[in-house]
Amino acid sequence: MSSVLYLICKVHYTSKERGGSVRNRIAELRRERRVTQEELGEAVGVTRQTIISLENGRYNASLLLAHRLARYFGLAIEELFLFEEEDVT
Amino acid sequence: MKETWKKGLSVAGAVLGLALLAVVIFRGDGLPGWANGLLAGLGGASLGLGGGGVVMEVAARRMTPKERAELERSETDERNIAIREKAAQDSWYWTSVLLWVPFVAALVRQDPVFIPVSLGVLAFHHAFYIFHIGRWARRM
Repeated sequence: MSSVLYLICKVHYTSKERGGSVRNRIAELRRERRVTQEELGEAVGVTRQTIISLENGRYNASLLLAHRLARYFGLAIEELFLFEEEDVT
Repeated sequence: MKETWKKGLSVAGAVLGLALLAVVIFRGDGLPGWANGLLAGLGGASLGLGGGGVVMEVAARRMTPKERAELERSETDERNIAIREKAAQDSWYWTSVLLWVPFVAALVRQDPVFIPVSLGVLAFHHAFYIFHIGRWARRM
């Protein structure tokens, strides 16, 4: 019975998305280094559309992609992605 | 090897689909209605799946190496995967809403067959969802 309740709660909570915002410096750094969106996408293994979405802030990168991008630019993840923390209290 | 199997299955599916549809078109008059429907359904599905694979293969062969690399990248692109997952989730949600329509229609018509059938499909749809939530919760 408890496992059924657990699953129902899981269904309920996994369908809710948590807010929070992350800004990034991908466009700025890319322009500085004169790299095209296509080239950056190729280097980190994603499409140009994904780079465009990341730059526009419409899509948040996974930890793995964030790591690849940070490594590409020679920065730490927190230097490339600026986390705006929410008040969780 | 895996790619060769995939190509072979696509071609076999397309040929089987065409053969089944040909039977329906040229010999359909001599077959009972249920057999016609079954052959047409299987033929259509087989042609759709197999033919789709063949068309994709032909299109991929005509691409430049750069375009092919872009296509391969787009298949594993994490945003594309997220888009597919979100589309599937939305599709599940709207299917679950739409499944109430035949159930209510069956209730209104007092249909003894479609009331349990539509209710069963609705229950199965949700049970399947809960089952997969549990499966993925264990994996992730």
